[in-house]
Amino acid sequence: MALRELPYRAASVIYRDVRPAVSSIRPSCRRSASTDTVLDLQSSSSLSVPPLSEDIAKGYDPVARSKARKGKLPPSRYQFRSPRYYRGPLHPHQPPPVSDPSSRLFQPGPFSLPRLEQTYQTTIAPDLFVLRYQHFPPGYRAPVKDERLREWTGESPYFKNRPLRPPRGSSHLRLLTPPPTFRNIPEITRVTVHSMVPDAQENSAHLHVAGMVVQAISNVRVTSHKARHNVVAWGLREGKHVSVTASIEREDTFHFLSKLIDVVLPRIKEWKGVSGTSGDSSGNISFGLTPDVVSLFPEIEVNYDMYPPKMIPGCHITIHTSASNDRDARLLLQSIGIPFHGKLVN
Amino acid sequence: MNTGQRTTKRLASKAGSSICRSCREAISRNTTSSYTTAAVASATEDQTPSHIPHNPPVPATAPQASYAVNAGVVLSRPPILTRDLHPFESAFFLYQRRLNERLALPFTRYFYFKKKTPADVEWKRKIKQRLTPARDIGRYKGYGAEAWNDELLVGTQESEVQWQVERLLEDAEQPGVEREGENGNGSGAPGATGKKVTHEPVERPMPRVTEADLKGDVKSLDRLLQRTLYLLVKNKEGQWAFPQDRLVGKESLHQAAERILVHSGGINMNTWVVGNVPIGHHQHQYLSESLKSSMNSNELGFKTFFMKARIMAGQANLKENKLGLADFKWLAKEEVHDAVERKYWHSIKNMLAER
Repeated sequence: MALRELPYRAASVIYRDVRPAVSSIRPSCRRSASTDTVLDLQSSSSLSVPPLSEDIAKGYDPVARSKARKGKLPPSRYQFRSPRYYRGPLHPHQPPPVSDPSSRLFQPGPFSLPRLEQTYQTTIAPDLFVLRYQHFPPGYRAPVKDERLREWTGESPYFKNRPLRPPRGSSHLRLLTPPPTFRNIPEITRVTVHSMVPDAQENSAHLHVAGMVVQAISNVRVTSHKARHNVVAWGLREGKHVSVTASIEREDTFHFLSKLIDVVLPRIKEWKGVSGTSGDSSGNISFGLTPDVVSLFPEIEVNYDMYPPKMIPGCHITIHTSASNDRDARLLLQSIGIPFHGKLVN
Repeated sequence: MNTGQRTTKRLASKAGSSICRSCREAISRNTTSSYTTAAVASATEDQTPSHIPHNPPVPATAPQASYAVNAGVVLSRPPILTRDLHPFESAFFLYQRRLNERLALPFTRYFYFKKKTPADVEWKRKIKQRLTPARDIGRYKGYGAEAWNDELLVGTQESEVQWQVERLLEDAEQPGVEREGENGNGSGAPGATGKKVTHEPVERPMPRVTEADLKGDVKSLDRLLQRTLYLLVKNKEGQWAFPQDRLVGKESLHQAAERILVHSGGINMNTWVVGNVPIGHHQHQYLSESLKSSMNSNELGFKTFFMKARIMAGQANLKENKLGLADFKWLAKEEVHDAVERKYWHSIKNMLAER
């Protein structure tokens, strides 16, 4: 059977490239079984259908309809509970996808299209592309580079199968920066707000207040962290809760940053800017805010009295970008309005 | 290695000004690497790339036909406002906000407002009026026998953006219902009813359509706030194009762009030329009849390299321009399409932003 099909298979493989990927439907005298179906499918696109007539839309009353109904709807029509535990792909009761509101993992959102995100897409990203552009003339071949980690060379028998030598000059390998293209324009991926309150070891109220403050300014639930080691100089004891973090992602990132840049930072007195030496040399830049600056956030300011006096903590803000070096990350942050001062270290 | 580099650099420099500096460096780098490999492997000359001239160029007896190099400036004003949302987008956002009202934890009033403070009283009064913590999504009932009926119907007022804005403003303004509530409490002494609480009126948002839009004033920078605007000027021949001029002496494209901006639009513009590389180019061929009559018959036409620039403040003023410009316009992409010639449009269309 398979052998009999072989010539046809071979022909179809050869002609696959010749045929257009999407066949346009042109009027032809040849009718096949699917012709009518295809036409039906096309005409019933939701984009081409005119909107519902106003009479039908206005006359629709779901409550009255449900009251007029004689019997009850079968429960399967309106009651679905996602299984509490995933019991494997063969189980009949499968959880819905996360994007389904009935899923246990569903998170609503996005709620808006932030202004900063739109500015990034329309203005900042094209400008960054021009600024970072590197010209490669036709026929250019990138020079071949040596291996980043060297091997052990020599007569010693101990060199055989030995792990590669560590990189020159530092204990870890730095990120490689790929040649700039329109696909790798640096963008902000997330923001981490971190607040450490060592006083929380004596009085846990400090940690609660810090959690509520960070939650209020970031719109994200916080996670608390324990001290991992005893550090006498900092008064840290192992296993005690000392800090809270909030990892801000997606839409919240832009809302948080625009609040920070437009409202909070301009009101700091005698602030020189973020230190130019900040950054982890892989595109993430962090800076700190003192307690009185944190209380300038509009969410804190609106009910400042509600927080116990002298318990509002300072915090560290880390802005994670998709840039692979600090120079590009700083260029991005400068373009969204964060000032830098001092010597710029890349 | 050093000598090899020097020779290639010399060769490349002898090739004339037709190669730009970065290309020349890249070529010399390439040949260097290939020379080293050739030295190590003692391979044949086939390894060197074919496009690199190995023979020193023969000095030409007659001047060659060439193109003049112009610099052009694409001066743009970025969008100032957020764009209007597609009806589907705004419906989706409203749906998600209402869904959030159902799924979020209830508002913890005891944390945010101390008992019997003015803020607490105000919150209680407001929540009694609107029955939903969120201010701009309309009434949302997540509990009770009819909790299933929580979706907005087609054409309800809650789904209109203007209605949502009005609700937010109303909430900020604290309208006269406050006084009714005070009277309703019955605690109002004759003195208490006498004092009327007057609040500052909340500033209304500015209209998204400006006066210049309504008038159709294409010279104003206040038009089409949601779009990128480009400066187009009318040159001596009466054609609309980006401001451009011939490169003078040894100046770079960046310097030329800054000079052209001053020479065309005057000094009353705060501009920033973005980067040192051009974002596009246009080649113009002279007609054969005009070639014969022109003095320099070896010049076949000109090539314009466009630099990107942004205007921060100010306005163009052609009164003292040195490029012989007659008029200017600030246009969005589609309007540029209508204003310029077809061939010019094909070379510039890909460097203009859609929005």
